[in-house]
Amino acid sequence: MSAIKKDSGFGVAHIILFFSIAILVIVVAVPVLLILFNAFFVNGHFNSRDFYNVLMQPETYAALKNSLIIASCTTIGSTIIGTFFAWLVTRTDLPYKGFMKGVFLVPFMLPSFIGALAWKMLLSPNAGFINKFLMSTFHLTEPVFNIYNYFGISMVEVMYLFPFVFIQVCGALERMDPTLEESARISGAGLLTITRKITIPLVMPSILSGALLIMLYSMAHFGTVAVLGVENGIYNIPTLIYERIHQSGGSFEAIRTGTVLATVLVVSAAVIIWAQHKILGKGHYQIIGGKSFRPMELKLRGLRYPLLAFCIFYIAFTIVLPTVVIFLVGGLKTYGLAFTLENLSLDNYKYILTEYTVTKDAIFNSISLGLAAAVITMFAGVMISYVIVKMKVRGKGILEFLGMLPFSVPGSVIALGVILAWSGQFGINLYNTVWIILVAYIARYMAFSLKSNSAALEQVHDSLMEASRSCGATMWQSLKDIVIPLVRPGMLASFFLIFLPALRELTVSIMLYSPTTRTIGVAIYTLNEDGETVMSAALAGIALIIIVTGQTIINRITKKVGE
Amino acid sequence: MKKSMMFLAGAAVCSMLLGGCGGGSKPGAPAAGNDSKKLIVYTSMKENLIKGIVNGFKKKYPDIQVDYQSAGAGKLMAKIAAEKQSGKILADVIWTSEVPDFYSMKKQGMLETYKTPVLKELVNPFQDYDGSFTAARLGTLGIVINTDKIKNPPTAWSDLMKPEYKKAFGMANPALSGTSYMSIAILEKKFGWKFFEQLKANGARIGKGSGEVIDDTSSGELSASLGVDYITNGKIKKGAHLAMCYPPELIVVPSPVAIFKGSAKMDAAKKFVDYLLSAEAQAMVANEGTIPVRGDVKMPDKFHLPAPKDALKNSIKINFAEAVSSKEATIKKFSEIMQVKK
Repeated sequence: MSAIKKDSGFGVAHIILFFSIAILVIVVAVPVLLILFNAFFVNGHFNSRDFYNVLMQPETYAALKNSLIIASCTTIGSTIIGTFFAWLVTRTDLPYKGFMKGVFLVPFMLPSFIGALAWKMLLSPNAGFINKFLMSTFHLTEPVFNIYNYFGISMVEVMYLFPFVFIQVCGALERMDPTLEESARISGAGLLTITRKITIPLVMPSILSGALLIMLYSMAHFGTVAVLGVENGIYNIPTLIYERIHQSGGSFEAIRTGTVLATVLVVSAAVIIWAQHKILGKGHYQIIGGKSFRPMELKLRGLRYPLLAFCIFYIAFTIVLPTVVIFLVGGLKTYGLAFTLENLSLDNYKYILTEYTVTKDAIFNSISLGLAAAVITMFAGVMISYVIVKMKVRGKGILEFLGMLPFSVPGSVIALGVILAWSGQFGINLYNTVWIILVAYIARYMAFSLKSNSAALEQVHDSLMEASRSCGATMWQSLKDIVIPLVRPGMLASFFLIFLPALRELTVSIMLYSPTTRTIGVAIYTLNEDGETVMSAALAGIALIIIVTGQTIINRITKKVGE
Repeated sequence: MKKSMMFLAGAAVCSMLLGGCGGGSKPGAPAAGNDSKKLIVYTSMKENLIKGIVNGFKKKYPDIQVDYQSAGAGKLMAKIAAEKQSGKILADVIWTSEVPDFYSMKKQGMLETYKTPVLKELVNPFQDYDGSFTAARLGTLGIVINTDKIKNPPTAWSDLMKPEYKKAFGMANPALSGTSYMSIAILEKKFGWKFFEQLKANGARIGKGSGEVIDDTSSGELSASLGVDYITNGKIKKGAHLAMCYPPELIVVPSPVAIFKGSAKMDAAKKFVDYLLSAEAQAMVANEGTIPVRGDVKMPDKFHLPAPKDALKNSIKINFAEAVSSKEATIKKFSEIMQVKK
């Protein structure tokens, strides 16, 4: 009897392993391999000269440097802000903590390129509303702020990316076993020592994994740099790829040049991940021990309300102000007019909603792509992370390697890869359909799902599973009764981490869209690029309404499921 | 129990979608060759111009379903190249301002030769016309100024080197905008690269699409830009504080229209081209503030545009076939001068 059970467990394990490997190979490995292949081989012959030529161009250097500078600044800024706010809402007695925690997730809803559009309107040196206001109020001759530099770009990215760290750190702080800190306190350690020796080491994996997500995201991020940097000579690798592809009348040569640039991006991403592993070492923290207590809260005393005010001001400045500007500009007759009643109307919104044919397609595409990608990636992610983190089967090594791939493959690279893989050369042609965007989304967001699911799984102590198995449960039973309920927060988190970004995705879809498969992000960006600033702002406003509504509905649903 | 059900359901959905995605695409996939019943037009003309023309066409031929995609010429060509790579070009008709693209498509045998019956009524800017493509509009580019910032309208191209344009003159990115590429090639032909070096020395900036620089001029971020006629005029109509100034050396960029060889909607495509060149559609072109290709279409006076024949006569001459071979080199040289951050 027990032998049969063992066998069936073994079978399940292998099926899961096989599926996991298949998904990762098809979705991620093949496109990446094709990029590398196309970067080095021309018509089937090895050719390193072209590769070398592209590498030696000063633009390539500059773009790589810009990518790294912007990504580093963004990562440092977001990590500090994200960790600070996470600590504030989980470990202190800040008033309205629960509410504030929700509020800090709001920046996540605002697409960073829409944010960039808004900040361009607010802070561009000659026409930015804030600059114009300050110049006329204080009779200045020179603008006060200039958003068109590394600082401006990073600042905008930090504003909208810090929730990556915030979510991770919040989760870690909430799940952390407070007895660890308490025992340190009982043993006479001071607050500083506890923070330094217990709290920080325990949440460090979460901080670093959030930081890593931001670093990789920002390095390959298209929107903000395209809006704020390109016009002033600040290119990063994705914007350079985008431009190269459009430069030479779209010959296949340009796509090849793109593959070389993509290779540069992949290599630098790999270096970053390697460095993170070095820093993090082999520390494994299984901090859910099956028991749970409420963590200790730090009394802020006199600082309670000033800190609350600071949080509210931060949100107002980074969220409310840009949103208001977007909606106002969306109401202007043409960009450049003053915000007076006679210049404002709802005509643009009416046009976008009723006449502009692209809108309906774009909204439908984005929502269905987001849902499909989130559901698929959530389940595939939990399965794959389970194999990587918990299972002891042969062939796991391959999966561990493949599992690392999605992390190191930035969005713009995936877009190029799926073009190469799915546009007919291998029998399946998805080009110009939504399917190619879906495949790209799955590949792109697999990293998020793996990250949050494996983080959740790592904290489930093996003893729980062992206990259930030794009580006679089958592998499947213990999975569904022990592991899944425990990692469900992680799964839900991965759903969030995927659905909402996918809803407002730009980096991937800008490379893959066709007349009928524009996503919301593409529709807004192309309108803006074509000089329909007020129209793009109106559509951005509508997109924000959709995103916020979507988020609210999801929150309701997940709350119900979580209960 | 509920939880496990959810998991199972999810797994089912997941495998179904994955399976559907992989397996479904083999036979009869919705993918390659979207043989829809629609005539598809790829164009770099903005909504305000193309929309009216397509609607007029629909009204005239209610049986023909027609759809268009409006995007920068560079983007459309990238799309076409990828579509060609995958075996099937989705568009039937293409109408952009990037003349070199038409020469290279002709060379690759991608274009159908079609001599429209209305040919003799048109102004033809192409010396080597053979019916592969026909000019459907004579676009002009001038200096667009923000009337709040620039009080004395420029009268010569060299005015752009004046201090009032310091760090405040913009041009669209030639990699994205065909008109921008053509105007750069034309200006280079007339004034040489020195012209751009001087512009750069005066802090000229590179924007994105051809409409975007005009919006930046309207907002005052730029004081002036190299702008396309009808886009500027459309914004002036909506109240933007802009004005269009034409130096005597006129930049005229023809926008050719062509039909792709092997189009499944050849008949409808030909009808569309004929309609585009008809007096009715050309009047729409003129009313948007750009030069039509027919002498018999009256142009509104407010745009201060020359008649089609005079426009060609006063324009800076350029050998279009030559501009083809030098396109990549021109863009490269241009980016080297303008984009390298100093």
